[in-house]
Formats: sequence, structure tokens, C-alpha cells
Amino acid sequence: MQNIEELKFALLLATLAMLIMAFFVITFVMLYQKRKFEAEKALNSIEKSHSKRLLDTALNSEETERRRIAQDLHDDIGTMLSLTKLSLNQLNKIVLEPDSKERSLIHKSQTLVEETILHVRRITRDLVPTTLERFGLSEAISEFINKLEDNNQLQITFHSTADDSMRQQPKVELTIYRIMQELVNNAIKHSKCSNIEIELEINSEFIFLKVADNGIGFNATQLKEDNLVGLGLLGIESRLAIINGIVRYVSPPAGGSLAIAQIPVAPISEKKPEPLYPFKRAKIS
Amino acid sequence: MFDNYIGLCTRHPLQCLPVFITILPIIILLKRKAYISKPYLILLIFLIFKLAIDLIMFHLAAHRTNNLLFYNISIPVSYTLLAGMFIYKLDSPIFKKLVALSIVLFALFSIWDMMRVNPDMNDSHNHSMVPYASTIQCILMILWILLYFYEIMVSMKIPNLFNSTFFWICCGFLLYYSSFVFIAPVLHYTEKWTNPLSIGFAANISYIFEIFYLLAISVGLFNFEKQHYAKY
Ligand SMILES: Nc1ncnc2c1ncn2[C@@H]1O[C@H](COP(=O)(O)OP(=O)(O)OP(=O)(O)O)[C@@H](O)[C@H]1O
Ligand SMILES: [Mg+2]
Repeated sequence: MQNIEELKFALLLATLAMLIMAFFVITFVMLYQKRKFEAEKALNSIEKSHSKRLLDTALNSEETERRRIAQDLHDDIGTMLSLTKLSLNQLNKIVLEPDSKERSLIHKSQTLVEETILHVRRITRDLVPTTLERFGLSEAISEFINKLEDNNQLQITFHSTADDSMRQQPKVELTIYRIMQELVNNAIKHSKCSNIEIELEINSEFIFLKVADNGIGFNATQLKEDNLVGLGLLGIESRLAIINGIVRYVSPPAGGSLAIAQIPVAPISEKKPEPLYPFKRAKIS
Repeated sequence: MFDNYIGLCTRHPLQCLPVFITILPIIILLKRKAYISKPYLILLIFLIFKLAIDLIMFHLAAHRTNNLLFYNISIPVSYTLLAGMFIYKLDSPIFKKLVALSIVLFALFSIWDMMRVNPDMNDSHNHSMVPYASTIQCILMILWILLYFYEIMVSMKIPNLFNSTFFWICCGFLLYYSSFVFIAPVLHYTEKWTNPLSIGFAANISYIFEIFYLLAISVGLFNFEKQHYAKY
């Protein structure tokens, strides 16, 4: 009988030990898994913020590069062209006969130089949206539309609920402007539309940019799946990623396409934005 | 007619409870349509088989007839089914082959074990429990469960273990087999049909953990989501 009692006790003890071990194994697996996932998550977020910074620098340097080119064009070529124009004017005065062959040649050169000056000016303007920096989004978009409407049959309407005093961070404004540019360019290039509507809405939390056209429309998700998105749509997304914005493409029932970009309003930092204007000193005459 | 059954239930409530609790995971499994995934289809077969065997044993016990033959038969079948789940759940092809091999070998071994202990198979009255097969089943199952744990720790394919059906099932079985591994060999000597020997509370432990693993399976199946079945 003594033996049996001992056996019972030993059995109980061994079973208990086994159970405790099993319990520890389960706890260990769970803790280990949790730790590992947390570490993974932290790593992911570091990687994400890192790639965001990389993108930011890349886009920043793109803008800087544009600015530099615009500046060079304006300062060097612009000045030289102005000087050439001056010289041509002087030459015009020196040549005496009014209807000589030389005179008409000089006249021709003069027109050419003037045209070139205009072109350079337009290119520099396109490279750096000066209106945006000086007068804000609404003005810049209006100007962009005016320029487009001049040489197109297309009708573009722009509606803004933002007043000009509500300026955003320069980076945000530039992003919205570039996105608007790409969306309108896409509508002109791909959609075969006759009418484009742009809407800018700013409230205390979000900035909404809506670009709608009445063209053939497109399916953004399908494009993404088929890997057909071009640099344009990709650029829009990467620009938005930096300022935490999102973009949605909707196919309205009436046809055409509608792109809605939503960007959170960030408080404007107190420090003055670095001067972005290459055209402060002189205007091209 | 029901007196026998009710009498058995009142005499051994803890032994009878698992028989009926087996119905719970079966219902949940069917409700959640978990059987669309192969391992859980096997689990369903296992649970139904277990229920059938348990009911037969319950019936025989109620009529005071030796039911140990069915216990012995259930060992290789349940091992085949349970280890079969691991063939689907383990990732490494080597482990899969190992499990498959173990199923064949274990089936042969447990039949041999049963024959050896019971030279006269027709004498069902003096049929006694297999001495080694159940212990070896415990050890093998613990081994496969630990291998599965090892794989999920290495591969990190399950983000939240609390939502993983198979993790719950493994936890249930791990605790059950851990509690049973030392008791199983002793049962051969104590659970003789004629003049059984009591091993006291230790005998109850395995019933408690049988209930526990049935509940764990139920909780796991409750978390089963169809769209993710391939992953978890
Ligand atoms: N407004 C639109 N209407 C119809 N289709 C559009 C419109 N906008 C974009 N798409 C479709 O989406 C595709 C991807 O546009 P995305 O701007 O990314 O590239 P892209 O304009 O072809 O090239 P990129 O902008 O780099 O010069 C286009 O090829 C076009 O088929
Ligand atoms: Mg484009």
C-alpha cells in the first residue's frame, strides 16, 4: 500500500511538472512572437520614414534644380539677349539707307531676338511658378488656366473657396500646384474632353483639390494592377506621401473622371520661408 | 433503460463530461464552415470519430461491459488523423515526410502492441489497455506540436497568435498530452477491467485536460475566418 501511495504522488508530481513545462513553452512562443513582431514593426516604420525623407530630398532637389536653371536662363541668357537687342538697336541707327538690305536683315534679327526673349521668359516662368510664391494658389491656378485657354478650344473653369490671405506652407502649395498641373495635363493629353473643372477648397483641417473632366474617363485601380501608370500618377502619389495627403480617382456616373486630392492643413511655421523668387531684382523688359 | 446511463453519469461525472463536450467543437466547426480547409476537415473527422468511440465506450460502460478494446482501436486512428493535420500545417517537407512515416510506423506498432498484450483477441472480457502505444502517441504529438511552434516562431507567418485557430488547437493538445504522458503507461497496470486499481486524483487530470483541449479547439475554431484559412 505504501508503494501505491508513493506512485500516486510521483505520478502527480511528474504530470504537474510536464504541465508547467508545456505552459512555459506556450508562454514563451507567444512572448517571442510578440517581441519579434514589434521589432519588425519598428524597423518598418524607420524604413518608411527614411524612404519618405529620401523622396522628399529628391523632389526638393528637383525643384532646386529647376530654380537654378530658371535663374541661369534669366540672369545669363536673358541679360545677353537684352544686350544683343540693345546692340541691334544701335546698329539699326548706324545703318543709313532706309530701305537697304542690311536694314531689313537687322530688323529681322531684332524680331527674332525679341521673340527669343519672350520665349526665355515663358520658359523661366514655367520652370518656377512665381505667381504661386507671391500671390498664392488661387492666383497661380487662374494664371495657369488663362495661359492654357489662350491656345486651346478647351473650356476650363476654376472655383476656389480659399481666400488669398489663407496661405499654406510653400511646400504644400507647390505640391498642390504641381498635382493640379499634372492632372490638367493628363486630362488634355488623354481624356479627349471639352471641359475641365478645377475646384480648390480649404477648411480648417483639409485642403481639397478636385479636378474633373468630361472625357473618356479611366480606372485608376485597373491601371495600377496592369502596371500602366505613368510617371504622372506615380509622381502625384509620391508628392502627396511626403505631406501625408491622399488622392482618389472617381468615375462619376455622368462620365469623365474626377480626381480628388486631400491634404491635411499643417500650421504654417513661423520662420520665414527661404526666398524662392529668382525674379526679385529686375523684370525682363 | 436510461437508468444505466444516468447511473454512470452520476457515478463518474468527470469521465462522462468530455463525451458530451465533444459536440461543442463539432458544432462550431460546422457553423464556421472550417471544413473547407483540409486540416480542419481532418479535425472534424477526428472529432466525430472520437464522439462515436466515446459513445460506444459510454454505452458499454453503462452496461458494465469491457470497453477497452475500443480504447485500443482509437489510439492508432486518432493518431493518424491528428498527425495528419500536421502534414498540412507544417511547412518543411522533411517534417512532413517524418510525420507521414510516423503515422505508418505507429499504426503498425500500436496493432502489434495490442496483439501482444491481448494474445486472445476474442476474449474481450479480459481485454487490457496497450502499455506503450498511448505513451508513444503522447510523445510524438508533443514533438509535432513543438515543431509547429518552432516553425511559427521562425517564419513569423502569424501576426496574432490569439486569432490563430491552429495555435489554440496546438495549445490544447500540448497541455492534454503533457498531462497524459506519464499517466498513460500507468493506466495499463491500473485499468484492468477486473479489479481496477485507483491512482487517485492523477486519473482525473487527463479528463480535466480532455475537457480543456476540447474547449481550446472550440475557441480556436471560433476565430476561424474563411478568407484567411490558407494562411493560418
Ligand atoms: N483624365 C484622364 N482621362 C483619361 N485617362 C487618363 C486620365 N488621366 C490619366 N489617364 C490614363 O492614365 C494613364 C497614366 O497617366 P500618367 O499621368 O501616370 O502617365 P502619362 O500621362 O501617360 O505619362 P506622364 O504623365 O509620365 O507624361 C494614362 O496613360 C491615361 O491612359
Ligand atoms: Mg500624365
